[in-house]
Amino acid sequence: MLFVQLLANGLQTGALYALIAAGFSLIFGMTRIFHAAHGATFTIAGFIFYELFAILHWALPIAAIASAAAAGLFGVLLDRFVYAIIQRHEGSFFTVFVASFGAAIVVQNLISIFFGKGMVTVTTPLSKSIEVMPSLFIAPISGIIILCAIVAFLILQWLLTRTNLGIALRALGENPNLIEVYGLTPRRLSQYVFLIGSILVVPAAILTSATSGLNPSMGNHVMLISIAATIVGGVGSLRGAAVAGMLLGLAENLCLAVIDPQWSEAVTFVILFLFILFRPGGVYGRAIVS
Amino acid sequence: MLAYLQNIAVLFCINAMLALTLNFIMGYAGIFSLAHAIFFGVGAYATAYIAMYFTDSLLICMSASILISALLSMALALPALRVRGEYFVAASLGLQVIGVTIFSEWKSVTGGLGGMIGIPRPKLFGYVFNDDGMFLLLAFVMLLIVIGIIALLVRGSFGRSLMAIRDSESAAQSYGKHVNAVKTISVAVSAGLAGVAGSLYAFYISFINVESFMLETSILLMAMVIIGGTGTLFGPVVGAALLMSLPAALTYLPFLPPSELGTIQQIIYGLAMVLLMMFRPGGLVGGRSREKSA
Repeated sequence: MLFVQLLANGLQTGALYALIAAGFSLIFGMTRIFHAAHGATFTIAGFIFYELFAILHWALPIAAIASAAAAGLFGVLLDRFVYAIIQRHEGSFFTVFVASFGAAIVVQNLISIFFGKGMVTVTTPLSKSIEVMPSLFIAPISGIIILCAIVAFLILQWLLTRTNLGIALRALGENPNLIEVYGLTPRRLSQYVFLIGSILVVPAAILTSATSGLNPSMGNHVMLISIAATIVGGVGSLRGAAVAGMLLGLAENLCLAVIDPQWSEAVTFVILFLFILFRPGGVYGRAIVS
Repeated sequence: MLAYLQNIAVLFCINAMLALTLNFIMGYAGIFSLAHAIFFGVGAYATAYIAMYFTDSLLICMSASILISALLSMALALPALRVRGEYFVAASLGLQVIGVTIFSEWKSVTGGLGGMIGIPRPKLFGYVFNDDGMFLLLAFVMLLIVIGIIALLVRGSFGRSLMAIRDSESAAQSYGKHVNAVKTISVAVSAGLAGVAGSLYAFYISFINVESFMLETSILLMAMVIIGGTGTLFGPVVGAALLMSLPAALTYLPFLPPSELGTIQQIIYGLAMVLLMMFRPGGLVGGRSREKSA
């Protein structure tokens, strides 16, 4: 029974990780920007939702939309006023990464000034575990998380394969120089990528506020998970990010059957490390040699 | 007041050493490691363990720290040989997280989250460094030695091989440079010298726990290197001095609430990182022309 319980927990964590990683994977795959501030987008979305929904008692949809707007705005502004300027003088990936990291540090500390360094949680009856079978506890919110992940990936899949914008975005990921020949501007497309990628993290942020709670410094963990899932899945492959997110979530929980819980986070990064050493292209990626 | 300044000076020496050694692989070899705090930590724990259970001899503790750090740095050298760019940054982030977990959970050696308390001051040729002034002298001498070693390596043929590899690995290889050997040695030297800083830190503070070796430390060190100037010899020293004096300077501003000082300091250095990358990616010491290599 322990195994089934861990499997259920793993599915929930995995779906959440897949949702978290989707936005980062999209941004990194399409624009090659190592968007370390993705974790900051997550915290912004989570805390705005918490403030509006739990403190000011706005209706759920309005609070969710406001939090999505804030996340999207943050991503687009960062791209427009920081990354674009750095890329203008051909900054290397590390220059962009450091700037992004700096922005994440600023956001984390601003949030901790407004909300304190402690944990905040949105209380809802949905996150209370129910005994489905003898000694198997599942919260209804796990189902919602998995559903959200499936819906988000279906929408994204549709957007990327069936709309003109999506096709242009995929072309951006393939060859940014070539698409200029077709009359598209990579910079404008990059703005759309950041808008979509940043909004993608919102469901995960809202759901996390109800399950494990939010604190200002959790952006780092979100960033690490996104990077791990993106690379394990294969850069540029959304399907890969989803599979890898699920894989990491399951591994983190299933390993609890044999080792102590404090080591479970390390399992994720051992997997990442092994992938980088032996299969840097990831599950679905092309082989990458140095 | 003198004790306060001495304290800052010793910590500055330690941080400058770390920034210098990080810059050695970051600026000259193009290995952007976010796991430098781990080797700092390995050096500190190795010294703490030996000093508490075996001997407080400076030479033995410090050599052990150097050796163990350099050996463990092979875990970083391995991905450095296989992947570049974003992939290596991700690998080093992974290593950082794994290292922190080991520091905080391998209780029999590292003391777990509580850390190790009561590390004795070191002994050199029968003299015990109990006086903080003398310890500052020791730290300063070690800093000079580290600067000397790095300057020698960078200015010599080894440094030129490193920079050649940084700028184009295949070109360096075609000129007969042993790319893998040079990279591995540079990582080992960097980690070994970071072990020296860790050793001094453990001796000086006499209490260590995992808090000092987290991702935040690695980022702070990276910020020192970048704000000072990557790929310059004295940039990291300037960066360390700037970031170390920031908290001290902030305490003199009367309008800031003391409880938020740490937070405000973090915001300032986050902003500094963003703005420098936008307008002066070569750092304060480096010129604008270096931006491509940064």
